[in-house]
This record gives sequence, structure tokens and C-alpha cells, in this order.
Amino acid sequence: MTVYVLKRLAYIVAIMAIMSGLVFLSTHALPENTAQVILGDYATPETQAALEAKLGLNRPLGLQYAEWIGGLLHGNFGRSLILEQPIAPILWAALAKSAIIAVAAMMMISIIGIALGVAAAVNYKRPFDYIASALTYVGLSVPEFFWGLILILVFGSYFQWFPTSGYSEPVDGIGVFIAHLALPVITLTIGLQAHVSRLTRSSMLEALDSNYVRAARARGMPERVVIFRHALRNAMLPTITVLAQDFGFLIGGIVAVETIFAYPGVGRLLVYSLSRHDLPLMQAAVLVITAVYCLANLAADLLYGVFNPRIRYGRAVD
Amino acid sequence: MKPLLEVRNLTVRYRTSGAAVTAVRDVSLELALGRAIGVVGESGSGKSTIAGAILDLLHGDAAISGEILFEGVDLCRLNSKQRRKLLGRRIGTVFQDPFTALNPAMTIGRHIAEPLIHHLGLSPKAGLDRACDLLADMSVPRVRDVAAAYPHQLSGGMRQRALIAAALACEPPLLILDEPTTALDATVQAQILTLLADLRRRKDVSLLFISHSLGVVREVCDDLVVLYASQVVEQGPAGEVLVHPKHPYTKGLLASLPRLVVSGRAVRLPSIPGQMANVAQPPQGCFFEPRCPYSEARCKTERQALLDIASQRRVRCWKAAGIGDWPVVAKGPAAAPSFSRSDTLVKVDDLRKTYGASHGLDAIRVDFSGRGPSLSYRPKAVNAVNGISLSISPGEVLGLVGESGCGKSTLGRVILRLLQASAGSVEFDGVSILHQPEKALRQFRRNAQIIFQNADSSLNPRLSVGEAIERPLALFNLVPTADRRRRMEALLDMVRLPRSYQRRYPHQLSGGEKQRVAIARALATEPKFIVCDEPVSALDVSVQAVIVNLMADLRDEFNLAYLFISHDLAVVAQMSDRIAVMYRGSLCEIGVTAEILRRPCHPYTEALLSSSSVVDSGSESRSARPRLFGSIGTEDEQASGCRYQARCPYKVGKICETLTPPLRQISDCHSAACHLESEALTPSLGDSAGSSRRTTPQGPTPRPSDPSCDRS
Amino acid sequence: MAAPSIEDGVAPSVARRRRLPAAVILGGTILIAMILAALMANWLAPYPFDQLHVRDRLTGPSLAYWAGTDEYGRDVLSRTMFGSRLSLFLGFAATLIALLLGVPIGLVAGYYRGLVDELLMRALDVVMSFPSLLFVMLILAITPPGLMKTALVIGILFAPPVARVTRSVTLDLMTGEFIVAARARGERAPYILLREILPNAWPAIVVEGSLRVAFAILLGAVLSFLGFGVQPPAADWGLMISTSRDFVDVAPWMAITPGLAMSLTVIAVSLLGDGLREHLDPKFRSTR
Repeated sequence: MTVYVLKRLAYIVAIMAIMSGLVFLSTHALPENTAQVILGDYATPETQAALEAKLGLNRPLGLQYAEWIGGLLHGNFGRSLILEQPIAPILWAALAKSAIIAVAAMMMISIIGIALGVAAAVNYKRPFDYIASALTYVGLSVPEFFWGLILILVFGSYFQWFPTSGYSEPVDGIGVFIAHLALPVITLTIGLQAHVSRLTRSSMLEALDSNYVRAARARGMPERVVIFRHALRNAMLPTITVLAQDFGFLIGGIVAVETIFAYPGVGRLLVYSLSRHDLPLMQAAVLVITAVYCLANLAADLLYGVFNPRIRYGRAVD
Repeated sequence: MKPLLEVRNLTVRYRTSGAAVTAVRDVSLELALGRAIGVVGESGSGKSTIAGAILDLLHGDAAISGEILFEGVDLCRLNSKQRRKLLGRRIGTVFQDPFTALNPAMTIGRHIAEPLIHHLGLSPKAGLDRACDLLADMSVPRVRDVAAAYPHQLSGGMRQRALIAAALACEPPLLILDEPTTALDATVQAQILTLLADLRRRKDVSLLFISHSLGVVREVCDDLVVLYASQVVEQGPAGEVLVHPKHPYTKGLLASLPRLVVSGRAVRLPSIPGQMANVAQPPQGCFFEPRCPYSEARCKTERQALLDIASQRRVRCWKAAGIGDWPVVAKGPAAAPSFSRSDTLVKVDDLRKTYGASHGLDAIRVDFSGRGPSLSYRPKAVNAVNGISLSISPGEVLGLVGESGCGKSTLGRVILRLLQASAGSVEFDGVSILHQPEKALRQFRRNAQIIFQNADSSLNPRLSVGEAIERPLALFNLVPTADRRRRMEALLDMVRLPRSYQRRYPHQLSGGEKQRVAIARALATEPKFIVCDEPVSALDVSVQAVIVNLMADLRDEFNLAYLFISHDLAVVAQMSDRIAVMYRGSLCEIGVTAEILRRPCHPYTEALLSSSSVVDSGSESRSARPRLFGSIGTEDEQASGCRYQARCPYKVGKICETLTPPLRQISDCHSAACHLESEALTPSLGDSAGSSRRTTPQGPTPRPSDPSCDRS
Repeated sequence: MAAPSIEDGVAPSVARRRRLPAAVILGGTILIAMILAALMANWLAPYPFDQLHVRDRLTGPSLAYWAGTDEYGRDVLSRTMFGSRLSLFLGFAATLIALLLGVPIGLVAGYYRGLVDELLMRALDVVMSFPSLLFVMLILAITPPGLMKTALVIGILFAPPVARVTRSVTLDLMTGEFIVAARARGERAPYILLREILPNAWPAIVVEGSLRVAFAILLGAVLSFLGFGVQPPAADWGLMISTSRDFVDVAPWMAITPGLAMSLTVIAVSLLGDGLREHLDPKFRSTR
């Protein structure tokens, strides 16, 4: 198990290195560079060249890259061109806000997805199963931003239960804080729990059909024990894998959701920086989001290792 | 005294897509306290369905009628919950596959303790202690370690013992076993059967033993029920039924079992022609009639009833009293060519194949035991083939026998260069094979073919039979395109399949038919040598005999040489001129069939011989069987010493651990690799006990392992 | 010896199920309808997609405008029909590229194993380690937009999962002894890959492909929703929904019509894929 963990960590470090390089390269492949963005309409070849020299943009790429990485490791993410402020505080604040949504959504996705999947599997080929499957389809096929819009329509316009945009600090009232989170989290949950419930259903069906479940029934275990202690325990493994995959979708979803609900998270920041070509902010945002994604994958891998005895205990005993 | 289990007129019907299938038809049996009854049948006979009906583990759309009385109570009248309460508490079950019958996420101890905690209310700690006691009862060493282990860490035999322990945990009076040893090696199977016999005596438990193997049932059971196509065809005490069978099917089944006797090349196994009756559309009259050599008009029209012919004896055949033995097959062509051992077709010299079991990133090991962590790179290596030398003459059949993991399949494939050898040489028809570029091997590929165990996966599901057989013809351009069809049909004739089969696809064929197509495909290139990798192991017994006979006929007709690989010593003995015994990559013994069977010189050969449950070996020879410890795959790789020593009951001491015994010649046509004096070990076929044992110091320089000796 | 289960002595009368599952029929029909609408939008649509009817802007569904009009008075239904072109094209083009790239990689990795396999898989792993949306957004942000380019980028992004699935199916098939039998005949790699493996692998590939079409359509929609796809005044579902956000109180039909169209299309593709999987290989289990 130890080796497994170490290998995964080493792998993550490698990925991050590659990604940082790619991000760096891509931002420097833009037709317009930082100097042009800053100067905007005032850019002439002379002023541009002067600014480039001042900012050190004509130095070798490798050197600039090293400098950037060095800065990162010290917590210095550079300055935003458009906002003209240090990036790090903005980024962390946005990340925290996104994290709240992400964590809340992941929790709901896991709980609802697994519960629906198990219930559908146990009621195989009965009405509940068919209805659940139909709902799953719809959940899978409709993009988050459309759900978001529908929810805005329903809860924002007609029922007026939740605010349809923005964010409110917890200190200003927990109730309002949660109200602002509600629509984004619900939107994300509807779409993504479908993956989880679908996979859980099929893994549960497979597990319930397996020989060890048959043997457990033959030992007289009541159905409840069979479902939860035997089948679910083993069906969880593929579910953990898909939860990890879902995290990738979640990131995409968060970007869309924050845009639609004008929620000041890192997704919205990213879209903003990309559309305005705010290069330092772009670099920082992409890097941080990728890091989070990698760490989430790592966590999923570790969780998988914990749950799978073959990985936890390799050697033979006989 | 009331019987413990009484099944009365049990009928089970399934509704599959469209047709209604009667899987079990009017089956009755009785099991008294303390007795063991065997239910025998081939696949499709319904034997597992009976167990499923008793345990309420059939799929939802099964309709059950009849009565199943257990301890006086009709199980069919109980609802699921009540039934489930009995399971584990009063009825224990052991299923076929120990590899999948254990929850991979639960320790062994937990498995065994589960019924104790649930049914008997023990605390988890008490349950675990009791589980360890039970494991000790099953002769499991190091019980605490095993109880804490997960299923994937244990071998098949160990897992099966754990499952038996779990089944017996609450000391139920009835134990149902559904093919418990089928997935295990022969030696492990023998251990488990000994264990079961032992448990019966000590714990006074009654057994319902379901199996396809008559030999296994003979070992364990007092009474026997024979099933054919959902019906009982014969019932009675096991000894009676097996020695004096009354129903034609039982006779045929017993006759077609290959025996551990020396038979000549001209001998063919009696076999049952045709196929199992289709339970979805059974015949009008007797179900067995289409295949029965004694059938008459009456058999075709009348459904047969189960008749009492003696006390405790029932047969479903009106002619039972009047018929004789199953017809013996006429001997093969008298002019069956013998072969000359002086010619060599295949010559293998010191062949080795080593697998790195872990390599690349996996081989990096982290060790925390010293001061701080240390990294090392230690790829594990497995010697699958460990220096094997042998030769095969044209037209000869060399049988290669050994248990799972011994490397026999690997050897076959390395010889054909389907796997890369690590060292050594292979010569075919005088040409060295191993180091040629693939392009130069065309002739070799034509002349050397292979047939596999699993007919299912050896045929491309998307090609029709005709296409599959024609492909080699096209590839090697053996016949002009216009004639290919005719040649393909001729090949179908050779393997006795109807020509209309050329349009069929593999999923429309039975196992035996698929295997025949595979044989036809191999024959298409007109080879001289075929590697047969367990060709009949996955087939029903009655079909095995047919295929074995076919292969013998083809051998005679085309002067084919075979490397006949199997774990089943009886089948190998039937087919082979010489037999080689393999253990963990090395040859233990090699010699003419007669010598190997009558005078085995290696302890492992002896163990294999006595483990093969032969129907007519009585229980006397069982007690003389040497006890083997452990199973293959549990020993570590070691650099030297006999590879068998960890399990060998004749181990003499340090020499076995340190010095690899060379293959020493015992006589012409017989060599063995053992440090013991080359006197015969205890022959296993009922002869008197063997001679004394003395070790030889460093024996004489080993001669090349395959002297030329003529077939006697 | 692990004896596999003893074979069935009874001649199996398993006939391939000839009836197509309902899912295939339903999904296929809807999809074909969509494709026809896209192809024939020029004739079927009541109005050109960029024709303004300023006086009728923001009116609800009526006889003249079956799905209402948007903020410039353009007919929503027509725009939706034209929008299907972009989405469908993107979906299929991206998937085609993904298949062309991914299937050979998967076949080669699965067939040769060893070093080739390790290298290819690690490379794919790297690509798959990045969140997909990010990756595409980044590229589209730094280069000039274009439909073909978007399809290309998405296709490259989707090639690794296709390769993964192909590889896994190939590995499964390689355990079949008919492959060993082919090698024992001296068949060469191209023959084995094309005539023995691929014909048995394509059901799984088709199923994965249908999944990719659905994902590509969704991804394309998100991209244009966020502003990285086609630019106005093009009729694109994502773009239409994005601009409709500001008018959602007064003109919900602006969002609902394209949204429904998109959902319907994706549902159709998913149904088709699932139905095909059922039909082609009932034993194939997805672990997506």
C-alpha cells in the first residue's frame, strides 16, 4: 500500500510539472503578449518593445518559467493586468467560494446518486427502476447551464424562493448564505448524480448476481445484510472511480454554473481572465484548478486503495 | 426413522424467452441421518437446479412443484424469510467455485463467523475464536493468519476449506455440496475428499453431494442418484450402481470413462453417440432413446417410468433386466502404424521460459526496516519452464501431465514459438526453430498446429465454420480458390460434422462440435504435429470419449504426432504412447505409458496416480495414498534443490533442499528426477506395498534424457 | 487446472435477438429527425436565421412564430433548426476525429503490450489528467475561433477515452485463443488486428462513440455558452441560451426552445448508444 501511495504522489508531481510548463507555453504563444494587453490601444512597436524590456519579457523563456515557478512556490502569483492587483488573494478567495459549492455538490451527488442506484438495483425491473432510469437519462443529457436557467425560471421568477445570483458572506447571515448556494448546488447535483446512480445501479446488479452473494444467502444472511454488507461494499469500488471522473465534470459544471448565477468563484474568474487575455491571471487560475483536480484524483485513488483489499494487502498468506 | 431430507416429485419449470423449460422433472430422493447421497449428471441434467430448489436460490421465474421435506417440514410451504432462517443454521452449503464464492472485501474469519454471529448470537470475538477452531478442524495450518487474510491471498484449496468451515459453523445436520472439487487440482481434490470423509465420521453430518464425476461420488457417498436430462434414470447404493449399472445411460457413462490402464494404440473408448436431449423440447418417448443401443419401437413412443427392480434400486428402463453391457467399440484399424523411435520430429533441449512476475515500476520495493526507508529494485521471476528436454517421433503421442501452474501449457506454446523462450533450443524436422525470423517459419507454421481447451474462445465468434476452416487454406495457398470449398467440406467430413454446419456460427454449436471445428481447422494445413492443450477438459464425459476417439483415428490416418497436454492422467494414459510428468516447470518423470502407470518412480507421479479418482478403485487403496501437503504456487522460488521437496512425503533431508535431482535413467524408456534409489515406489493400482528407500549419493552422470527405445 | 464450467452438452439454440430494442428505435428515430431538420433547414425553417423582425421582438409563441422571437425579432424556431447544424456537425466531426486517432492507438497498445503499451498509456494519462473544459477553453482562448478547430480540439481531447476503451476490449479479445490460433498459423499483425480483433471490437467502440457524440454536443454547447465558440449572429444553441439569460423573465421561450432541442438530441444519442450496446453484446457491461 505504501508503495502505491508513493507512486501516485510521484505521478502527481510529474503531472503538475508538465501542466505548469504547458500553461506557461500556451500563454506565451498568444498572438498578443502581456505588453500589448497592458498598453491596449496605446501600443506602438516602440512602446511595446520598451515595456517588454521593462517587464523582462524578452528574456529566455526558460528563465521566465523558472522565475514564475519560483514565485508560485513562495505564494506569489503575480499581478493581474486588468485588475491591477496581486493575484494570490483574489485567487484564494475565489477558490474558497468555489470550494464551498464543490464540496456541497459532491456530498449531495454521492449521497443521492448512491442511494438512487442501490434502490434501483434492488427494485430491478419494477416500476421504481424504470422511473429512476428515465430520470437518469434526462439528468445525463441536459447540460448544466440549461438546468440552471430552468431553475432560475422556476425558483427565481415564479416561486422566488432563492436568489438567482451572487454570494453572501456567512457572517452576514447563515440563512442568506445558504440561500445563495442553493441554486448552484442543486443545478450541479441534478446533472452529475445521474452518472453516479447509473454506475452504482449496474455495479450493484452485478454484485447481487455474484457467487459470493449467493453464498451469503446460502449462509442464511437476511437480504438487508446481503445488500449492504456484501453487495454494496464491493459495488463501491467502481463507484469511487466514477466519482473521481465526475470531479472533472464538476469542474466544467462549476465554470458554467458560476457564470449563469454570477457566483464569484474561481470558474468565473477563469472565464473572465481567458476572455480578456489577462495572462498572469489565466496562468494562475488554470494551474490552480488543475492542481485541485489532480489532488482530487489522488484522493480518489487512495480511497480506492483503502477499499480494495487486493491493493491494501498484496502478499499471499498460504 | 424419518429421513432427514426427503424430496418428493420435485419439478422445476423455467420460463425463458419464449419456451418453457422443465429443468427438473419429477425427482424424488431420500437422505437419512448420517448418510451421504450423490446426485450425478452431466451439464443440463438439472442437478444444480435441485440444490437451488432446496435452498430457494433459483431465479425468480422458476415454478416449483412437489415437496421438499426437511426434518419433517415442507420447505416449499415456507416463505422466503423462514427459508432463509434455516439456511446456515440447519443446512450448510458449499458451492463450486472457491474463487468467486468468497466476498473479496471480507476476511476469512469474518466469513466463518458471520453465521455464528447471526444465527447463534455469538459476540464478534467469540465468533472469531470459534472460526479459528473450525479452521483448525479443517487441517488448516496457522489459523490466526488465515482467519485474518483476504480471499485473494489464499490458494484454491485453502479457500474451499474455509467455505466448508463456514458451511459447518453452526453444525447443521445437512451439508449440500455442489461440485465442490471441480475447480481444484487433482491432488487438492484428494485432500478435500479425505477431509469430507473425515468430517462425516467426526461430526455426524449428512451430505448431499452433487457432481458430474462418478469417481468423486464413489469416494464419498453411500447412495447414488443418476440424472439424465432432468429425470432420474437410476437410483441405489453407490457400490451397486457403479459396479452393476442397470440403465443404459449409466452403463454408457461408466464405459466411456477413461481408465488408468495401459491400452494399445488400436483401442478406442466406448462412447455415447449423439447429444444430451434438449430439455426444452424433450422427445416423445424415453429421453435417452436416440442415443441408446438397445432401443426398440416401444422406447420411442412410451414415456418411461421409474421402476423398482430391487429393494432400494430404481431404474427408468423397462428393459433393464434384459440388457447386457455397453457395446464395446471394435478395435481401430489393425494396421495402425506403429512408429519408429529412431526418427525425431520434435526435439527440445534444455528449454527455459522465465517470467518476470513484477518488473518496471512495480519491482521497486520500499523497505522501512533499516534506518530510514530504502529503495531496491527486485523483479520477481517465475521459472515457468525450467530446463526441459524431450523428443517426439513422427506419429507418436507424448502425453504431458501436471497440475495447474506447472507450466505444461507454457511449454506447448514455447515449442510452437507462440511465446518467446528464455533459453534452450527447439528443433523441428531437423530445423532449429527458436532463432529464426518469423518469415522463415512458414513451413514450420504449416506443419505444427495447436488445439485448445476452451473451444468457446478458440473460434472467432464472427466467422462462420466454413470461413474459419477455409482461412488456413487461403493463407498457405494449399488449394486453388475454386477447390477450397470442396476441401473444407472434406475436412468437415473428417471430423464427422454435417456439411451444412459450414454456415453456422460458433454460438450455434455445442462444445464438442466447436472442438471438432477447431480440429478441422488445425488439420487444414496438413500438419505433422499438433499440440493439444487440454482439448477435452472442458467437455462433458460422454463427449470426451468421442473426441478422444476422433483424435486417435486422425492420428492413425495421417500419422500425426501429438503433444497431448492434460491434467487428467486417465485421458492422457488412453491417448499417449509415452507420458511426461511435469511439476513447477521441471520434468519429474518421463517414460512409456506402461512403465509410468505400473512402476512410477517419482513421488509426485505416485501422488497423481492415487489422486485420480478412478471409479473402480475401492476405498482400500485410499488409505495407502500418500498425503500431500499444501498445493502448487505456495512455495517460494528457490535457486536449487528439488522443486517438489516441500510437499514430498519421501523427503530424505538436506539433499532434497540443496541439490536439484537430475533426470536419471531407470531403464530404457523411463527416466525420473529423484534422489531416491530408483526402485519403484508404492504402485497405486492395488499391487502390494513398495520397497525400502535408500538415497544415493550424487548419482551417476545423467544420460541424455531420451534414449532411443522401441515401443514394446 | 481451474476447470472452467463444464460445457453444455446440449446444442444451444441461442438465436441472436433479431428484434432491435425499443431504445434503438426511439433514439434512432429522433436522431434521424434531427439530422434531417439540420440538413434541410434551408427549406424547412420558416425564416432565415438572421432575419430581423424588429417590430415583433420578444413576442411569445404564435402562429407566425411557432416558438416566439428573440430580442432582435428573429424567429426562435428557425434559429433552433439552424443551430442543430452546428451542434450535430460538432458532435459527429469531433467523434470521428477521436475515433480515427483513438482506435488505432488502442488497438496497437492492446496488441503489442509491453513498452509500447506503457508509453502510450502514460501519454494518454497525461492528456486525461487535465479537466477537459479547461483544456479546450485554454486552447480556444489563445487561438482564433472556428468550428472546425473546435471540432479538432474536442476530437483530440476525446481520443484518449476512445483509445482506453479500444485497448481494454482488445486486451479482452487477446485472451481468446482464436488469436493464438491465428498466430500459430503465422498470421501477421495487420491481419489479426483488422480481421480478427476489430470485427469483434467494434460493438464496444460504437457504444463509446455514441457516448462521445453526446459529450461533444454538450461540450460544444458549454463552450459557446461561455463565449468561446462561434460568435454572434450565428445561430448556435449554447449561444442562444447564453443571450437569453438576460431575458429569461420576459421571454422564457428564447431559452427553452434551444434547450429542449439540445436535450432531446443528446437523449436520442444516449438512447441509441445504450440500445446498441444491449443489442450488439448483452454481456458487455459499462463501467463508465
